Amino acid sequence: MKKSNAVFSIARAVLPYLLAVLAAFAAAGVFIALMGFDVFKAYGTILFTSFRTPNGFVQTLLKFVPLVLQALAFTIPLTAGKFNIGGEGQLLVGATAATVVGIVFANLPPVLLIPLVLLAGVLGGALWGLIPGWLLYRFGINEILTTVLLNFVSFNLVNYVCTGPLRDPGAGHPTTLAIGENGWLPMLVNNPPLHSGILLAILVVAVVYYVITRTVSGYELVATGANPRAAGVFGINTRWMFIASLVIAGGVGGLSGALEVAGAQHRLIEGMQHNFLVLGLIIGLIAKGNNLAVPFVAFFISVLEVGASAMQRTLMIPVEMVFIVEALILVFVLLSDLVQKRVS
Amino acid sequence: MNEFWLTIISYAKLILLTIVPFVLAGQGTMLGGRTGIFNVAQEGIMLVGASVGFLVSYLTRSNELGMLAAMLSGGLFGLALAYFTTNLRMDQFVIGLALFFIGIGLSTLLPKIVIGVTLTPPLIPTLKEISIPVLSQIPVIGEIFFKQNALVYFSILLSVGLWWYLYRTQVGMELRAVGENPQAADSLGVNVTRSRYWTAIVGGMLIGLAGAYLPMVYTGTFTENMVKGRGWLAIALTFFGGWKPDTILYGALFFALIEVLAYRVQVLGTAIPYQFLLMLPYLATILVMVFSFRKARVPAFLGQNYDREKRAL
Amino acid sequence: MNAPILLHMRGVSKAFGSTQALDDVSFELRQREIHGLLGGNGAGKTTLMNILFGLYRADAGEIFLNDQPVHITGPKDAITHRINMVHQHFLQVGSFTVLENILIGAPRKNRWNNRYDAEVQKIQSLQERFGLQVPLDALIEDLPMGMRQKVEILKALYRGVQVLILDEPTTNLTPQEVDALFQSLRVMVQEGLSVVFITHKLREVMSVCDRITVLRNGKNVLTLDRQEASEDAFVRAMVGEGMDLSRSVIFAHAGQDLPAPAPVPLLRVEGIVTAPAEGSVALKGISFDVREGEIFGIAGVAGNGQRELAEVVMGLLPVQSGQVFLRDQTLPHPDSRRVLKGDFAYIPEDRLHDGFLPRASVAHNLILGLHRRPPYSNGRVIDWSTVFSRARELIGQYNIKTSGPEDMGGNLSGGNIQRVMVARAFSATAPVLVAHNPTRGLDIPSMDLVYQKMLERKRQGQATLLISEDLDELMLMCDRIGVLYKGELLGIVERGQFEKYTIGQMMSGIRPQA
Repeated sequence: MKKSNAVFSIARAVLPYLLAVLAAFAAAGVFIALMGFDVFKAYGTILFTSFRTPNGFVQTLLKFVPLVLQALAFTIPLTAGKFNIGGEGQLLVGATAATVVGIVFANLPPVLLIPLVLLAGVLGGALWGLIPGWLLYRFGINEILTTVLLNFVSFNLVNYVCTGPLRDPGAGHPTTLAIGENGWLPMLVNNPPLHSGILLAILVVAVVYYVITRTVSGYELVATGANPRAAGVFGINTRWMFIASLVIAGGVGGLSGALEVAGAQHRLIEGMQHNFLVLGLIIGLIAKGNNLAVPFVAFFISVLEVGASAMQRTLMIPVEMVFIVEALILVFVLLSDLVQKRVS
Repeated sequence: MNEFWLTIISYAKLILLTIVPFVLAGQGTMLGGRTGIFNVAQEGIMLVGASVGFLVSYLTRSNELGMLAAMLSGGLFGLALAYFTTNLRMDQFVIGLALFFIGIGLSTLLPKIVIGVTLTPPLIPTLKEISIPVLSQIPVIGEIFFKQNALVYFSILLSVGLWWYLYRTQVGMELRAVGENPQAADSLGVNVTRSRYWTAIVGGMLIGLAGAYLPMVYTGTFTENMVKGRGWLAIALTFFGGWKPDTILYGALFFALIEVLAYRVQVLGTAIPYQFLLMLPYLATILVMVFSFRKARVPAFLGQNYDREKRAL
Repeated sequence: MNAPILLHMRGVSKAFGSTQALDDVSFELRQREIHGLLGGNGAGKTTLMNILFGLYRADAGEIFLNDQPVHITGPKDAITHRINMVHQHFLQVGSFTVLENILIGAPRKNRWNNRYDAEVQKIQSLQERFGLQVPLDALIEDLPMGMRQKVEILKALYRGVQVLILDEPTTNLTPQEVDALFQSLRVMVQEGLSVVFITHKLREVMSVCDRITVLRNGKNVLTLDRQEASEDAFVRAMVGEGMDLSRSVIFAHAGQDLPAPAPVPLLRVEGIVTAPAEGSVALKGISFDVREGEIFGIAGVAGNGQRELAEVVMGLLPVQSGQVFLRDQTLPHPDSRRVLKGDFAYIPEDRLHDGFLPRASVAHNLILGLHRRPPYSNGRVIDWSTVFSRARELIGQYNIKTSGPEDMGGNLSGGNIQRVMVARAFSATAPVLVAHNPTRGLDIPSMDLVYQKMLERKRQGQATLLISEDLDELMLMCDRIGVLYKGELLGIVERGQFEKYTIGQMMSGIRPQA
């Protein structure tokens, strides 16, 4: 009895998502068909590339790492009612810090250099979260614009680092030299290559979930997000919650950058943030800010992203098509919320 | 006239030319905000405006049709925003972000579909300068103010017109009432839904036009993410300008000044790496927010959705 | 004698989600009468009149005006039919002038300028006829509530009105102002208007209305001429059969013979002065104490510093000088952790902004401020199973209508939100309770429960500071009442010397004779 209830309630929670995905695929499918492509072949590629080959699956996991962290960098402050649209700035500054440390201290042994590189990334990102956090704390300035604008600042910073002192003269694209090999993350699987960053990402997911749902600090974060004025009246230091959540989010965003450097690229590359920020926002919003749902949604979006690249390669359909599908899924998830409210 | 003054004149002229995207996007944002609709999709709508405006100009060889198409696409985004927030009463910020995402995707998808990938960027003619007869003959003033492209004149006239509309007419007063207290306006027979729709749509059109200005005046072509945060800056400008047409126009002058400085000083060649100069518009905006954000007078109902049947709790 | 029927609403039903707010309700208004619409909170009075005014759309039912069916789909239609309504929370634009507020949506000869000479003349003549003097170029947000009510009535008169609906119009008035309002209502009726007067106060309808309709739980209970019925009949109609009147605090004054409080001050407030700020009233040297087992009342028209006083006592608002003492210990100030530390409980006036978490569960709401202490937590980790079982108890005890502790706060109605505020405050068992309008939005049985709980605190020797705009409530519950006017405490009246008009005079700023 109890078990079937649980199954039922999970089904009830997942069903709207399924319908939203179907609706988004249907809507975009019309568009794809009008462009003269084979819709079923396209969707087959998008959905199953991740599961056909070991390489596809590993690619998916490699996408999952930055995406889930970017999504958390959005949802952690969202729990406190604050919008962090600065995930990519935090990623880039974290990656820059990790790269600098990885190059300067290239000769340290791995036991020291790996944690140092990651720590540098976390601190760099946290600094990039601290700036809007402090402006909010000190002057009450809306964090949405400051986090967004700092992204553009970080683009120029990365361009400077990649074309300036640490430039790799052999690369055609603005890129730095590689960090010391002692700073590279150990591999979980060598062929196809999968670095151990995924374990760290999963650990972060678990810790965030525990802290927010079980601890007093997590309760205060939720209360702040639910109504900061009331939370403040009943003794919670809401301004502290705001700044702390933005700094932690910045750290998580910075970690995503450090993992890209230490695990995947081993150097700073201009444009390495791809569209992780926007995908992170989409994941966080589809998950409705629920930190438990974030990893599942992030995995699903990773599957779509890996499928999208394959689709562009084999069927010549632009990847942006899938990006629009993802945005449409978000719209339909939001719509399904309304439908549920009307029905109940 | 010596070279110094010629430089000053050319800079002043350039600044006036650069205010256009800020004025159009700022006034578009302000107009929606006056009925409570807080648009945050500017960056995406401007991208679509730039992309569509460029494509239609490219295909039809007519900048006018390009601008029209950009306004149309911006208007569609405004319509979507109005529908989702006014009829479905969805969270304005979240739906704004979703429209922003769709805008990013469409803006790069459309050129890929229509033109495909080319080696050299396809070009469109840029907007011509229009000299106003007589006035353009005035020394200095004429050069700066009356030898500009059509959209410079339009954006200034638009600002004046909006100010007159909002502060000197009955309908403008009623519109402001909707953004302050829609229930009060509704209880006196003002059509809240209609006001929200038309301001969101016209606001979206202006923002779309602001996007089309970039390929049509600055670059002659569309490049990915060419808006470079100007949409977000327009939001900051709207707050800075206190959601008033006149002060938004003045604020746009400041934003344009910073942008001109950032791009021109690097040409002059200085010891500062140019990347740091390019950070200026964003850093200056953050600084401006420190000084103006809390003082800004915002429409009381900004960002909220009106539900006539919602019961007082 | 019987005037013809002007307006008839028949078989009106209206549901909000799963709650049936109105169920087959009928209502008749005669020409030139003042018709009282009486009932507790949640009875459906305002909903019924909002339907007549076109703000709500009825699920079923018809409206007849002069025996002709009319279709009202929005306030615009209502205004066309010369029906207008003054809401309890005035529908005004604070940043606009009085004149602009009156003219929003009004037909004007020249819509393309802002010259208002003709309109001003018309308004001034109305002001003289009905005695509604308000400066037309003042900003609404600068006016006191009494003035703003006049603006609302002017808005209706300006558009031409035959049916004027007033929703709880006496909330923000002194007893003297209430008398003046009743007089001008009489003038209006003589000029040919018909008035619907919504209230939950029996005494008011008895003193001014010609006929009275009682609603309860969204249903018609009865309609009677005032002369035909006794007060008891109306009381019974309002509360229903389910409530034991003989044990109620409100009707039987149960528990009013409790012993006088001990002369030991528990909470002491001394020389409080706060800085003047935009949108708030500065407190000018307030001192009083609340003793063990005492209920100390603060009376006054809303907006005379009540909110500021509550926030000073709770440590939320900084002071320029003065101190708050608990058992002769000076409390650090400002300090928003008074609830967290367990010494204070608080029922804020503005429950939606200051007390409630709409985007968190009912359980989250019930432990707000209590969440760092046992039994709910050990200071670091929340014990959710205890939280949930206690939450279920409170939901039952306070009759909170919700699907359970995990229900989202945002799903609750206003009355149930207030029950959450009340349940949380009383479950804290703190030595000092600051209760600001604790019964606002509650139906009569729930109101009675709040009063019972306050008396229980009294028995246990705890102190209660009851700030209320309802003078009847204060006179029923308090041992002493202090009267607040423009940030000053004009005097403190002892039980036994409570007299409505004396207190009313102090509420309008007249100091008592020494």
